[in-house]
Amino acid sequence: MIRTALHLSAVVAGALLSSCAVVADAETAATTDTASLTITLDGIANPTGTIRLGVFAGEEDYSNGGGITGANVTVDEDTETVTIEGLAPGEYGIKLYHDVDDDGDMDTNPFGMPTEPFGFSNNARGRFGPAKWDAARFEVTAGENTHAITVGG
Amino acid sequence: MDMTRRTLLAALGATTGAVALAGKGLAAGPDMPAWQIGYANAPADGFAPTAMDLVSGRLPDGFRGSFYRNGPGWFRYGDDVLGHWFDGDGMVQQIAFGDGKAIHSGRFVQTNKHISEQEAGRFRAAGFGSAGDPTYPIMSGDDVNAANTSVLMMGGELMALWEGGSPVAMDPATLETKGPHALRDDLKGMPFLAHPKVEPNGTIWNLGVAGTRVIIYKVAATGALDTYELIDIGKASYIHDWAMTERHLIIIAQPWIMTRNIPPFVNSLEWRPEEGLELIIIDKDDFSSRRSVTVDAHAFYHTGAAWDDAAGTIHIDIALYDQPFLGEGGATNLMKGEFDPAEDEAHSTLSRIIVPTSGAARIEKTDVDGEFPVVHPQFHGLERRLTALVGGNTPGRPGARRVSTMDWKTGTARHFDYGPDRIPEEHLFVAKPGGQTEADAWLVSSALNIKTLRTEIHILDVADVSAGPIATFAARYAWPLGFHGTFAPA
Repeated sequence: MIRTALHLSAVVAGALLSSCAVVADAETAATTDTASLTITLDGIANPTGTIRLGVFAGEEDYSNGGGITGANVTVDEDTETVTIEGLAPGEYGIKLYHDVDDDGDMDTNPFGMPTEPFGFSNNARGRFGPAKWDAARFEVTAGENTHAITVGG
Repeated sequence: MDMTRRTLLAALGATTGAVALAGKGLAAGPDMPAWQIGYANAPADGFAPTAMDLVSGRLPDGFRGSFYRNGPGWFRYGDDVLGHWFDGDGMVQQIAFGDGKAIHSGRFVQTNKHISEQEAGRFRAAGFGSAGDPTYPIMSGDDVNAANTSVLMMGGELMALWEGGSPVAMDPATLETKGPHALRDDLKGMPFLAHPKVEPNGTIWNLGVAGTRVIIYKVAATGALDTYELIDIGKASYIHDWAMTERHLIIIAQPWIMTRNIPPFVNSLEWRPEEGLELIIIDKDDFSSRRSVTVDAHAFYHTGAAWDDAAGTIHIDIALYDQPFLGEGGATNLMKGEFDPAEDEAHSTLSRIIVPTSGAARIEKTDVDGEFPVVHPQFHGLERRLTALVGGNTPGRPGARRVSTMDWKTGTARHFDYGPDRIPEEHLFVAKPGGQTEADAWLVSSALNIKTLRTEIHILDVADVSAGPIATFAARYAWPLGFHGTFAPA
């Protein structure tokens, strides 16, 4: 039972870790600056460290890709916001984790389960893995957009 | 005044002004046999502290402390019956003893699973025998943690234990849930088996299992993590319990192997008797010093305890089954009030596994059947004479009817038969104040009386088990049958 949950939780970590790598590499290179997205990160239990988030465009990118952009948000309060500019209107998903100790990695326990908070757009949650695209997808339209994710701890 | 004494006084005082809860307890379902009351939903808000009635005898002088037992307490939402008895939400019962009184209380462990399912009014989490609702989020083992198997006093808190998730901390006086406990930040969410082993000096050892990987924990008596180690045992055996001597940790890998990662977990278990029952013996002072021996295939849930003798031979007492029991499909019928006559035949035999320092290990079976073997806590891991267990059966209903003590030195057992109307549960040793030997102790247990539909507490003298209880208390209601407990002296 549980072993199942544990085993597959390692997948969550893997997926999130790979999205983080993306965050580090991502260039905010969009040129069609037709939409902006302001993301509110609330319910932060430990107001320290950095929230590292990846923005994914469409199902293929969300499920298998590396994301199109991202942000590293320095955390000082229990709520933080970040605005991503230059998105093309369309469907997006977000994966994030709170790097509480600011070591650049999503910490995991010895069985590979995350020990730092993580989350997805729509506050979607997974079952034996990361939240699925259908649960995490949301629409970004031309102009200003907002989205809130509870980080927890 | 130490922590446990304060806790006890709080518990004993807690009934002030409490009213007797007539009709508050369980009832068997309509058209169900009386014993089904042991598998019926407990009140969602628990049992408020209530004095039990003294039925016979008297509470022995010096018998002070709290007896805690955990077990599944929620089995159905409407007509939807849980997939397996083992998946019921944990409910911790407390009986506080002192001043001649026995005060019962009980609370559900407020796990993510319990809270979410109570809100939804239906079962959602996957489990040992439950497929679960595909929309129920599972981000870690603690989202499916039923916290229903045992309890452990650690660092002044009462831990409700399962086997695939964190220990869940509770207040030992009020049974209020504090939440999942991490031994250290970097071990958050790690599984912790429901069968920790406590040395007489208070040092706690335990395992956590994920597939072929096993974590070994060593925790100081203060509750602080001393050290941990990860090992890979090479097979994904179902590991519920294990054994410890003064010098060794013994992982017992039964050939009941997890083969895939799809809930319900029990359906993934495959019985492979050709692989035998493997014992992996690990030096407590050097985890890299290990050896492995294999004996004939058996299944098991529980060990009593183990010791090293002067020659270095390891003796493990264990309740062995010829093949897995309560596996796939098992125990759902109990919650429906149905009893499979085949289960009248299924039983475990109190046995010893003898492992010499070299050469073949062997199994020695006794003629005593039973489950829930326990030993005197002050002798855990040490050479000793006694193991207590419950066994016997009454045709047509589940549960034991007898308690036995096996004396390994003489090879003889003593028994007390509670009769056909009582279902006795795991008995625990309670040391007499100033007692020097294992026999200077009492046994304490709950028993469900299916004639009066009340749960009783029985206290026996280990020195004369066959004489039966020297004190019996009865609640004015019943609570669900449970699994394992602990006694915190005060």
